[in-house]
Amino acid sequence: MGAIEVTTVSKRYGTCQALDRISLDIQRGEIYGLIGPDGAGKTTLFRILVTLLLPDSGSARVEGLDVVNDFMAIRQHIGYMPGRFSLYQDLTVAENLDFFATMFGTTVAENYGNIEEIYAQIEPFRDRRAGKLSGGMKQKLALCCALVHHPSVLFLDEPTTGVDAVSRKDFWNMLYRIRESGVTILVSTPYMDEASLCDRISLLQKGRIIETGTPAAIVAQYPHRLFGVSGKPAYPLLKFLRRTPGLLRCFSFGSEHHVAVAPGTIQPAELTTQLQAAGFHDVVVREIEPNIEDCFMELAKEERQES
Amino acid sequence: MVMLYLLEKEFKQFFRDSGLPKMAIAFPVLMMLVFPFAVSMEIRNINLVVVDNNRTVASSNLIETCTASGYFDLVGVSDDPDWAMRQMDRNKADAILTIESDFDRSLERGEPLPVAIKVNTINGTKGSIGSGYLTSCVQRFYAEHAPARQSATTGAQLDVSPKYYFNTYLDYKMFMVPALIVIAITMLTGFFPALNIVSEKERGTIEQINVTPVNRGVFILCKLIPYWLVAFFVLTACLLIARWVFDYSCAGSIGLMYFFTAGNILVTAGMGLLISNYSDNAQQAMFVTWFFMMVFMLVSGIFTPIASMPGWAQAITYLNPMRYYADAMRGIYIKGSTLADVWTDAAGLLTIGTVMVSWAILSYKKTT
Repeated sequence: MGAIEVTTVSKRYGTCQALDRISLDIQRGEIYGLIGPDGAGKTTLFRILVTLLLPDSGSARVEGLDVVNDFMAIRQHIGYMPGRFSLYQDLTVAENLDFFATMFGTTVAENYGNIEEIYAQIEPFRDRRAGKLSGGMKQKLALCCALVHHPSVLFLDEPTTGVDAVSRKDFWNMLYRIRESGVTILVSTPYMDEASLCDRISLLQKGRIIETGTPAAIVAQYPHRLFGVSGKPAYPLLKFLRRTPGLLRCFSFGSEHHVAVAPGTIQPAELTTQLQAAGFHDVVVREIEPNIEDCFMELAKEERQES
Repeated sequence: MVMLYLLEKEFKQFFRDSGLPKMAIAFPVLMMLVFPFAVSMEIRNINLVVVDNNRTVASSNLIETCTASGYFDLVGVSDDPDWAMRQMDRNKADAILTIESDFDRSLERGEPLPVAIKVNTINGTKGSIGSGYLTSCVQRFYAEHAPARQSATTGAQLDVSPKYYFNTYLDYKMFMVPALIVIAITMLTGFFPALNIVSEKERGTIEQINVTPVNRGVFILCKLIPYWLVAFFVLTACLLIARWVFDYSCAGSIGLMYFFTAGNILVTAGMGLLISNYSDNAQQAMFVTWFFMMVFMLVSGIFTPIASMPGWAQAITYLNPMRYYADAMRGIYIKGSTLADVWTDAAGLLTIGTVMVSWAILSYKKTT
């Protein structure tokens, strides 16, 4: 039995199909990532799984408990950290923690071991009001509050949105340590670079799962060769590449343009020559490994073409 | 344990709020100190113009009787009716008393007095009350100055002297004090819980509570109890102000006033929670609460007697919780009503309260 089992769950808001027959099977002790842009349906799925929302059809079980019929029992087993900071801003750090521990019928002392490592970092600010904490601190407090009743499944909805790079790294290290204690973690993120940090991921697009697997397996399935192309001027270069025959897809990725080509059609050296002939300077074309974002763009495109 | 903590949290949030504790004190104090004077229905300072065509001792005695009553400010005496009308046109005069030239002779003969009264009724209440005062002044003057033989010839005169029960001097402040307590408590306990729940919605904290195994009845109850205490505090403050500033005391049982106040909170706080359950943000909750408060207040009998409303409006007032609360509070405070006298009010208030709170709890869904 998996920690979270979702079977063909659908949810519609008016004319917007927020979730379209979603199925997931998440194992105990996994860090599972839901990756997708804003509006893909990540939060809706979270709200169904944490018993705040009823699905229109389909069923979902968390720790073997049905999200509709056993919702009260589920609440004892899960910790939920919504995307928006939603603790009491007018209560202090310690008061928030005490409050949520009590709401779950436990005490901070009883579960201190569970949160000690994270709480130690915000302990110096225990008497500060939660509203006056920095973004990273708020996030740690929210995580403490979600963990204080020793849940076996942790739901983190976009926990790193709006958090700086260093704090994000910190945060993922915390997640790995939480996983070590056997907690299943479902985490959503719009950042593709965080996908590779998960054990397994599902890519979500417009309420549908377009791919599921380990990050490595998804990357391995990438069907094309990928070139990283840079040169000056950058924007005309992108437009030129999009017009060049033989290139499948081209999009800007940081300082480079990622160009997908069918294997065996064109070599980096040929492309370099072409671009230099067209008047671009400082041209560099190198073969690169695809990342999750490349895969997502590829899959999202296929999905759009099918539908 | 969970309940204690929820309550502790509500109190902490209440007292840490920059405005709420101050409001809870300032609002009733202002209500009690300003409004009894400001919203008085007693009419004083009626500007009087006299057109005296008689100019005798008798006519000046009549003018003196009127001005001595304390209700009128004499603007001027003239024999020019056009000048008097102009004063009224310019809003300088509220009433014109015209004394005809045969006034003193009519008085001597005991004939009906040739006196005319004109009043400005742009403000209807002031106009009708002013003409009433003026008429009674003239009557009093007639009774005092008409020749004694007159009463002998016309036989026994009917002398009606009204006796006002419970509020002997028709003191309007006395009438308004319990009503203002009703308004202060209803406003505070109606708005605060509504805004409280909506703000938890807006901040998203309600989601965090909703994923805990806390029972929704307990959660709602913990939202109500603090406002219960706020209302008791406000009631106590108002009663003390009435005592110290106006020297009024409650004619009936103070305990009964607290009982009705508790019942009223059940209604208003329940209604506040209900509105907040159906509102997405504070503006919506504010507006809807305000709408209901206004309607309740206007047809509660606080300002205008329910008995003088048209039949359909009277029927609606049976659904108005403030009607029961205001009626009971006035009865207890002014008349000394006991529970036996106001049990219908208690029944009405508690019925509406039970419905409101049950509805609020049922509509507060943890899952949608």
